[in-house]
This record gives sequence, structure tokens and C-alpha cells, in this order.
Amino acid sequence: MEVDSPEQLQRKQSTYLSFDENFEIQKEVYRGQQYSQIYFARLHCMRALLYSLVPNWKSHLPVCTVLGLEEGKECIIVGTLYKHMKLKPCILDEYSKERSVAPLVKPHNFIHQDDYLVLEDESGRVKLGGTVLSPSVYVTGVVIALHGKETSAGAFFVEDVLEAGLPPQIERQLKSREDKYVVFVSGLSIGSSSSNPLLFQLLVDHITGHLGDEEEQGLAAEIVHLVIAGNSVEISRGLLNGQNLASKDQSRLSEPFKELDIQLTQIAASLPLDIMPGSSDPANFSLPQQPLNRCLFPGSATYNTFRSCTNPHCFELDNIRFLGTSGQNIDDLTKYSEAKDKLDFLESTLRWRHLAPTTPNTLGCYPFTDRDPFLIDSCPDVYFVGNQEKYETRLVKGSEGQSVRLICIPRFCETGVAVVVNMRNLECHALTFGMQFSS
Amino acid sequence: MATTSRNIKVFYKQKKNTTTSTAKKSTKNPSHKDAAATFGSDITQATALASHGGSVDLKDDFDEEEKVLAQFDMNMAYGPCLGISRLPRWERAQRMGLNPPEEIESLLKGGKVRLECLFEGRV
Repeated sequence: MEVDSPEQLQRKQSTYLSFDENFEIQKEVYRGQQYSQIYFARLHCMRALLYSLVPNWKSHLPVCTVLGLEEGKECIIVGTLYKHMKLKPCILDEYSKERSVAPLVKPHNFIHQDDYLVLEDESGRVKLGGTVLSPSVYVTGVVIALHGKETSAGAFFVEDVLEAGLPPQIERQLKSREDKYVVFVSGLSIGSSSSNPLLFQLLVDHITGHLGDEEEQGLAAEIVHLVIAGNSVEISRGLLNGQNLASKDQSRLSEPFKELDIQLTQIAASLPLDIMPGSSDPANFSLPQQPLNRCLFPGSATYNTFRSCTNPHCFELDNIRFLGTSGQNIDDLTKYSEAKDKLDFLESTLRWRHLAPTTPNTLGCYPFTDRDPFLIDSCPDVYFVGNQEKYETRLVKGSEGQSVRLICIPRFCETGVAVVVNMRNLECHALTFGMQFSS
Repeated sequence: MATTSRNIKVFYKQKKNTTTSTAKKSTKNPSHKDAAATFGSDITQATALASHGGSVDLKDDFDEEEKVLAQFDMNMAYGPCLGISRLPRWERAQRMGLNPPEEIESLLKGGKVRLECLFEGRV
């Protein structure tokens, strides 16, 4: 094999469009508003949508507000769900007189069989009864339509539920495409004791085409984009306890970023990359997290292939729409509801048409006044969530021909697994890097 | 205390023009034994309103334009009024297709009225 072969492998390219303006907080000014505004915006948009869907569901029943409920009259009501949870931590528990009952071990999941659901709109709230609606499946903040009637006890007996369902999807012409791959990775956790720098270096070398023979390089040349879905660095907790840092500790603070920047420079020199903030990254805490500052990446930010993005992140590559988060929304759903696996949570958020229904109740978010940016208007083709335990994927079909690839991206520092999506057919496979040599 | 249902309604009426109209009613029936109770209770209500704000801005409470804007603030269809100024709230209602009355916008842009909602600074 010749060392200087005349043909150089060209990396494939694709057109990129960002839809992050919805998640950016540029002109918002905090005027002391409360969260009632964002709940109003959410209820208004979702209710208008559900009202348009009700005639196809049950056209013979009247629609009324919570205050307009009459005992025994079958009707449809639309509102925001509130789940009363017995075990949900409450700030007022600190002030309660009886301290002895407080559990010392915090449960990872706050579900209790006594949890009940309440439906609320501007006029009032009503407790929900019946067995159709299982409280463990739902969370506070979901807007749904319910068919039922008011009981003599003043509760609303639910007979049927209507969720908004998958949003409309723009049809993509997929068949005539060539193989182009997008790589997703999350939870690099550079700076943590458990992260192995060699694994990430292997990933970088593979993507940039420095590994393997011509065939493998040919495969790498078909990778058009890399998305890093959050938690790229981890700062040791000891450095963040509020004490003044000695100068030698100050360099320890910046070490993870320097290491990350070196790697990202190698990547950015080779292909476009998006980096999203996560829960352990130096970005704001509440959603939507704003892009990581470009000063953190002095080397890679000089490349126009480097893009610092918001969390959640929405973009289009060759007209294929990608939407995803760094994991906080799904982790919060895990704490306050139940499902068979993480993909079920992901699918639920799509059916409820809301990226993070638990905001602002249990997940921090910015108090928007005029809109709820987490509402999903257009169905993505690929919907991902980062920083999960393991790699999982599923293809979900909607009632109107929508098709979405759901992906759970595992934490790279723990698993060494990145996810690769083929844009031609939305098929997905895992790219595993390991250092154990079988004997 | 002997109060008729008419007096109870007048006492608990939420609209700002209560005081002016019942003051007229009281003067019409000066010999009515309930008039004193009505008149007295309305004065109590008015001072309670003034003490919230710290300054006696009774003129604003009875201004025609302010009444219209207070009704706009209280209308739940346009969402909560606290934490958002009147004009952004009107614009938001407009964008959401709720068709808020045009006269509110012209009043707010006219510049002679309070731009903050009814409860601003009071809660």
C-alpha cells in the first residue's frame, strides 16, 4: 500500500440549520415575574391544540371549564395536571414540628400509592378519580383532555384520556440519500476520577480518520457531524465548596477545560461539532441552559466548525430534524413517575408534546412570560437524550405517519459507548471503545 | 346589625365605582336607618384600599380609564396580571389570538395611565 496515495479521502458534508433561537435567552429581562405566566402560556397553546383534536375523538360531548362542571353531566375538560405526591420533598418540611418522621435515606423515586392527580385551569381545579388515569404514569405540568363526569363527592370521574399525540412531521425524502453518519456522545466527564482519557482519544482518532486502514478511514469519512450531549467536564466537588482557592488549586479548576479544548480542537479541525451544556457543566442551572462560553475553548472556538449550543438543542442536517437534551428532563421524569424504560419516558414527552413537563415544578426553568419554549411544534426525525445508563433505541410511529428514532445516549466515561445514526435510513448503532484485551 | 341583602351586595361589591354610586343612594334616603351603616362601611372599604398602597391615590381608583384597565387586569382569559406590565400582557394576548380590545392598547400607549397592573407594589 502506498503511503502517499494520489486520492485523498474527502469527508462528506451536509447542510446545517440551527433552531436554537427558541431556547436562547437574549432579550428576556427578569422583572420579578412568577411561574404562573409560563403555565398560562403552556395551557393556552396546548388547550387550543386539544380543542382542535377533541371533535375527532368524541364529537358528541360538550367541552367545559372546570368551574362549569355539573354533577353527573358527561363532558370533556382540558387542563394542566397536578400530581399531589406524598413523598415529594417540600421546603416546609424543614419547619414542621415533628422531626422524627423525616426519613434519613432519600428515595430516588418519590412515587407513592397514595398519589393523586388534580386537573387545573384558570377557573379552578378538580380532583381526578377513576382507574383509567394512573397517577404513576403522569407528572405535574402535562396538559391533557379528559372525558368523564363530576361525582357527588366533587371529584371528576375519568372515563377516557386524550393526549396531544405526536406533533405533525414534515415528510423527508430519505430513500435517495447516501450513507451519512452523525455521532452522538455524552457524559465525557473529563476531570472526574473515573474518566479514562484514552477512550475519548480513541473516539477522536476514529472520527478524524487517524485510526485503521483505508476501509475504516472510508467509514470515518462518512461521519458528517458530532454532537456532544452534555456533561463534558466534571469539576471535583472539593473545589466548589465556596472557600477561596489556593493558586495551585486554581489550575486544577481549569485543567479539565484545557484537556477538553485540546480534544475538541482535533475534532473541530476535521468535522463540524456541536457541544451542549449538561448538569455538571459550567452553564446556568435552569433550563434552557445557555451555550457554554466560547472563552472556555480558546483553541477550538476559532474554528467555524465549532458550535456551542443550548440545552435543549434542535437542529437540521440535510433537512433531517434532530431534537434532544442532556438528560435533565428525563432524569426528572424518572424521579416523579414510572415507566418500563427510559425510552418510554422519551416517547411520553413526545406524546405530551412537551420536552420537560416537570418544569418549573421540580426542574428549574426560566420564568418566561410570553411563551413556553419547551413545547414541541414539529415532530423531529431523531429525538435523543444524553447521560443515560445504557444505550437504547426505538423507532416510534405516529398516527399520521410520523416516524421518530428515539435514542438514549449512555455516559461515555462509564460505558465507552457512542451512538451513530445513519441519516439515510435513521438506523442506529453503537460505537464501543474499550481497553480490555481478552486473554 | 340589621342589613338587607341590598346593603350586603353593596358592601361586598368589588367594582371601583361602588363608593360613588352608593354615596348617591345614601343622600337620596337620609332617613333610612341602613344608610348610615352603608355609608360607614364604604368609607372603611375606601381607606383599606388606600392603606395598601401607602399613598392615598383615590383619584386613580375612580378614574374611568383606570377602571377599564383594571377590568383588563382582572380578566383571567388573558392570563395572570402579576409580574408582567399591562402593555406586554396586551401584546401577548394579541399574539395568542385572544383579541383583546383595541382601546386598551390605545389607552396604554396614550401615556396618561398606569402601565403596571392593579396589584403592582401592593402584593
